[in-house]
Amino acid sequence: MSFVTALALAIGVLVVAPYVAHRLRRQQAEERLFAATRLVSPTPPKARRRARLEDRALFGVRAASVVALALLGASPLVQCSRLAMTRSGASVAVAIVLDDSMSMQARTGDARTRFERAKAGATEILAALRDGDAASIVLAGAPARVALAATTDLGSARAALEALVPSDRATDLDGAMAIARTLVSELPQVDRRVVVLSDLADGRPEAPPIGEGAALPVWVAMPELAGVVPDCALLAADRTGNRARVRFACNAPKLGTGREVRLVTGEKGEKVLGSGPVPDAQNGEVTITLPADAPEGGALVIAELTGSDAIASDDKAPVVVEAGPAALAVVSDRRDDSVATGGAPVVEQALAALHVDLATRPIPQPPDRREDTAPFAAIMVDDAPGFTPEQRRALAAFTEGGGMLFLALGPRAAAAPLGANFEPFLANPVGWGTSTSPGADPGSAPLLGESAASLTDLGAKGRTRLAEQDTAAADVLARWTDGAPLFLRRTLGRGEVWLATLPFSVDESDLALRPGFLALLDAFVAEAKQRSAPRRGDVGSTWVFAGARKLEATGPNGPLTPVRDEGALRVVPPVVGAYQLVVEGVKELRVAAPVAAEIDTRPRAVAPSATSSSQGGGVAVVDVSWAIALLLLALLAGELVLRVGAGASTTSAKTAEAGPKSDAA
Amino acid sequence: MAKREAAMDLRRSLDWGSLAPLRIRARMVAEGVYAGAHRSARKGAGVEFGGHRAYVPGDDLRHLDVRSLLRHDHLLVRQFETETDRALRIVVDATASMGYRGDKAPGAKLAFSALVAAALARIAIRSGDPVSLGFIGGAPRARGVPVSGGREAFERIVDALEAQTPEGDAFRDVAVLDRALGSLARAARRGSVVVVLSDLLDLPPEAPDRISAIATRGRVLVVCQVLDPDEATFPFAETVRLRAMEGDAVVESDDAARESYLAKLGELQASWRRALVGRGASFITTTTDQDPVSAVRSIVEAVR
Repeated sequence: MSFVTALALAIGVLVVAPYVAHRLRRQQAEERLFAATRLVSPTPPKARRRARLEDRALFGVRAASVVALALLGASPLVQCSRLAMTRSGASVAVAIVLDDSMSMQARTGDARTRFERAKAGATEILAALRDGDAASIVLAGAPARVALAATTDLGSARAALEALVPSDRATDLDGAMAIARTLVSELPQVDRRVVVLSDLADGRPEAPPIGEGAALPVWVAMPELAGVVPDCALLAADRTGNRARVRFACNAPKLGTGREVRLVTGEKGEKVLGSGPVPDAQNGEVTITLPADAPEGGALVIAELTGSDAIASDDKAPVVVEAGPAALAVVSDRRDDSVATGGAPVVEQALAALHVDLATRPIPQPPDRREDTAPFAAIMVDDAPGFTPEQRRALAAFTEGGGMLFLALGPRAAAAPLGANFEPFLANPVGWGTSTSPGADPGSAPLLGESAASLTDLGAKGRTRLAEQDTAAADVLARWTDGAPLFLRRTLGRGEVWLATLPFSVDESDLALRPGFLALLDAFVAEAKQRSAPRRGDVGSTWVFAGARKLEATGPNGPLTPVRDEGALRVVPPVVGAYQLVVEGVKELRVAAPVAAEIDTRPRAVAPSATSSSQGGGVAVVDVSWAIALLLLALLAGELVLRVGAGASTTSAKTAEAGPKSDAA
Repeated sequence: MAKREAAMDLRRSLDWGSLAPLRIRARMVAEGVYAGAHRSARKGAGVEFGGHRAYVPGDDLRHLDVRSLLRHDHLLVRQFETETDRALRIVVDATASMGYRGDKAPGAKLAFSALVAAALARIAIRSGDPVSLGFIGGAPRARGVPVSGGREAFERIVDALEAQTPEGDAFRDVAVLDRALGSLARAARRGSVVVVLSDLLDLPPEAPDRISAIATRGRVLVVCQVLDPDEATFPFAETVRLRAMEGDAVVESDDAARESYLAKLGELQASWRRALVGRGASFITTTTDQDPVSAVRSIVEAVR
């Protein structure tokens, strides 16, 4: 028997002693046989009860005092079950990677979610830090981001941690750990660590183990968070006419058996429009026919999965009407190009070669109604002979609303008929003349990168001359070798107008045949895609509203604050659901959908060094002697009060008994 | 468990205390009663008109029918039919509650009742009246004594009383009461005297009606409630846990309950008094610390 065991037994005896004394002192009511018991009324034994209560209080206080005294004596040995890092003695710089992805909302074991447990663990780690230690917090929900830059102000670190809330984002563990390493690698503390609080489910279970070959020590502090949990999610819900197609995915086969997808509407989803059973497949689609009286447009229809699984937030998906990607319209003279290429116009073939996500739709002439431009994210017009007033209004509204317009100016543009011009994109008429320059200056076209070199010899028969005023109003993307603008970009409202002083036709130049032209188209399409985000996007991906001056966004959890970055307003949807946007007064509905990879809750492997007890563990030595000493003082004061109170009551009782005798005397 | 066993033992045994030996004490009590008596115990009770017969010399002239003589000039003597049953029937409550003996009592209630019953028996036998003894509850082996007279009858009654122990639960089992009173009600005829000695505390609610029914048909009924001094005064000062000797009632109480207890006891006695007096019976209350002579004398007075 060790000394500690003997000491513990002795303390146990000390704790029991007051109880035994209390039991011995306590008066037990005598039991007697009494024939007339039925005539006796039970009375509350006031005196005895009072004594018993006092005795219990005294017993409790004394027993607690003994325990507190013992703890006070043993306080250097007191160990608390809480997360703490092992320390070498020097100051520590720790970067806490806290996973706020959707899979962390799974509930396992107790009633708390994984995120809540991880947050509690982070709180305990912060609590174990000392003065001079630095802490930073990185969130692993995609995209990984810094929640708190490295600071030695542990109070603000705790406040920042307290303010964190879970999200439905995907997981970017590697990105978060890279950021974490960056945050602490330059700090002066000798001991620098990265602590990972995650379920390690980033959709890549076969990826290299976490912590393997890391430059800084990595500690996966709560490996118990990892584990596969059953989950099914609704990834997308699209409506076409009176049919809704709901795409689902589960992380194990037959998880959806017995469950069904329902389409509901109303403020609380009280009206069911239709339902369909979930097939046994792990992934698939459920098609539900909507009734004839199903709401159109404005009213939001929600697809929801019945039953329950580990993650509830991905069991609902707003139904989106025509949520396909926006298209790119191309206006060119097909007769001329078909002669030269033997097929589609060269610009269409170039777009097909780029494999852009936008569908290319050739249209015979520029749209002359605003609603005709609605399906398009970008419009490319090749050598149009000016625009009619209706076309100008439609295109101007399209551009100011965020659309991208590409005007290739050639001899037809210079020979615009009366009443046709390019206002408001060009304030002055354009001219066509012989080019004195063979091609573009590669140094003037950084946008095109290395491909700019291919534009040095364009073999142009002529080129478009722009008025000085129009050139000054635009940014020149590339110049001829003689300094004249070749490609220009001009912002108009929320959109942009790109101009080329050469047409796409191979009859006029070799521009469309050069790699630089593909680079130009790629940059244009990328810009168009960024400006025309689809109505449904991945949760956590940024929605960019370039050119917008005012933006209001309201999501499932309330209003979001737009951020202006690189001249454009941006909003990041943190949770899955529908978002009501008001862009410059125009209402818009967008949907944030869960990322399919997040449903895969299989954890990544962890390097043995990352879970080694040398990094830390669930036990910490905490100095609580001051608190125990205060408690002991309070207990002693409490016993004094109880004793004084008991003495006063006894005195008053004796006085009450003696009173009548005195009167009788 | 040990307490329970002790309680059962107490219920089964009878604490005679200073009331033993019963035979001698009963004679002493009876003698004490005689010393204080002024009239015959038999005089006056149970005589009724029985018809006429012709006068013969030597008949008591007080019984001559004057009206018949004046109307018909016949000398007729009024015959008075004496009751054929002049027996004293004693019923002693021997249920478990009668075994109680408080600190101030000389003996258990059953012992006191036995003493009173034996004394009454001796008085009746000395007066030439037959006596019977019955029990409410009690040990199954202890039997009552049928109506009989003479010295032997007194000995048998004393033996039966000495052999009795307080057992039985009349509160739960009404049959206990019925067995004791049923045969009595059928056998006792007009003029017989019935004395019931009981604490009346654990009898069932219908007991007042059934016992008072004995007082009908010309029978004389005296009910004597025998209480222990504890039951009459409720002396408990500290908190006690009281367990009924019949039934399962358990009450934790203290001196604060004294007033309500005495009030309920008074109500119980008043209800018995109403039930008995309303049918011509008598109700007497005594405690075991009182002189048994006065208790017997009170009963004899009530019989007259």
